[in-house]
Amino acid sequence: MDSVKKKSNVKPIAIVFLAVLGIFAVLQFTNQPLEGQPVSKKIEAPREVLAILENSCFNCHSNQQNLSWYDKIAPISWAVNKDVKRAREVLNFSEWNYSPAEHQGKMYAILNMMQSGKMPLHEYTLLHPSAKITEKDIETVKKYTFSLSSLSPVKQEKDLLHNVQANHSPDPAKFPVSPNGIRYTDEFKNWKVISMSTLFDKSIRVIYGNDIAVKAIETENFHPWPDGSIVVKSVWKQENYADGEVRAGEFINAQFMVKDSKKYTDTEGWGFAKFSGNDLHPTGKTASFAKESCIACHRQLAEKTGYLFDVPMKVNTERLIKNLEK
Amino acid sequence: MKKILFIILSVCALFTACKIDEPDKDLKRVVFDPGDLKFISTSLNPKKKTSSALYGNAEALASLSGENNQLKNGSVMKLVTWKYHDNPQYTGGTITGELLSIETIQADHNGDVSYQIKSTSENKDINASKEERIQYIMSYRPVKRP
Repeated sequence: MDSVKKKSNVKPIAIVFLAVLGIFAVLQFTNQPLEGQPVSKKIEAPREVLAILENSCFNCHSNQQNLSWYDKIAPISWAVNKDVKRAREVLNFSEWNYSPAEHQGKMYAILNMMQSGKMPLHEYTLLHPSAKITEKDIETVKKYTFSLSSLSPVKQEKDLLHNVQANHSPDPAKFPVSPNGIRYTDEFKNWKVISMSTLFDKSIRVIYGNDIAVKAIETENFHPWPDGSIVVKSVWKQENYADGEVRAGEFINAQFMVKDSKKYTDTEGWGFAKFSGNDLHPTGKTASFAKESCIACHRQLAEKTGYLFDVPMKVNTERLIKNLEK
Repeated sequence: MKKILFIILSVCALFTACKIDEPDKDLKRVVFDPGDLKFISTSLNPKKKTSSALYGNAEALASLSGENNQLKNGSVMKLVTWKYHDNPQYTGGTITGELLSIETIQADHNGDVSYQIKSTSENKDINASKEERIQYIMSYRPVKRP
């Protein structure tokens, strides 16, 4: 009697098992392998740097995938394929068509991602422990990246227009528009300066915030930033003066970040725009350009300050400020 | 027994003593309020690790835009200097930190020029004379941009 009972218990389990196996098998038919893409121009770097990149980054960030067998089985393969596609959009070591300055910028981004422990992804190193980055690897990448700094020439020449501030009559309707709809505006020149910064590319930057953004900073209320916050970064080449002082030289670009949590859902609620040169030509070919470029770094490295890099540091004491106001 | 009690109390005391205050409790993020003045120019001193912003009114802007940099009557200028640091969120970048000083130049309607400095630190970095500082601030040119 007992054995009969057991038999009838076993059956449903076996059926479930077979069903799962069947579904699993069917899933494999839906499995679309990653499209193989040719290596058009592989990144050039010293051998030891390349070895680290190949070992820890290439599997997702290149056209040279060397995936494990389990990466190719559905449903794991779905996640892997999605990650690889996104990774290639942001950074692809097999399509390295960059100028030396762009190469330097990418290397700094890579260094910062490694240093902050954001890359390689934790989920990835769980399944691929050999891809983990060591302190020594970071030092190697850092040394190489810092060595690139000396390569970018500092423009010393001064032009005759230096003394003249461009004084065009601003017609807002004629201002350029970024592919995502953000229109350049001159208004930021009347806003408060929230911070000043420099970057490895020998640029000098002044960052303005509108009233909403300034209030958010002063009240430490930027998790998340309130809608309507706008931050504009004005960027110039550094110009060297006597006694080592540096001042703002040629205008490079104006970078906008506009907070609208409903509009810019793909990029943490921030709309990005960059207007370069004296004609303020906007960056990006499609409305989603920031998804493939800007947000990758802002999302991973500037989360603590609501995805903005240049929020003023929390280092001033009330007492000192009061001394100044006396 | 007393010994045990003593040890227990000491251990308890150890734990209560370990309460860590928030390190940045008294610290603030400061945005300088220039009042009616507008940003005119900026500079960086890598030796001192300082960064300055120059603000001014319309007369000040006109003074610095001209050929011979004559301070026009009614000009008001403020040079605000900050200490800068490596950006904690991005290796390869720097960002302004502590506010160090505010220097103000004013030219009244008779052409008399006054200079004033307010500093957050007792030991002032700036030892130059009033005339030297005025001359220095007058050496700025408005930033170029479209």
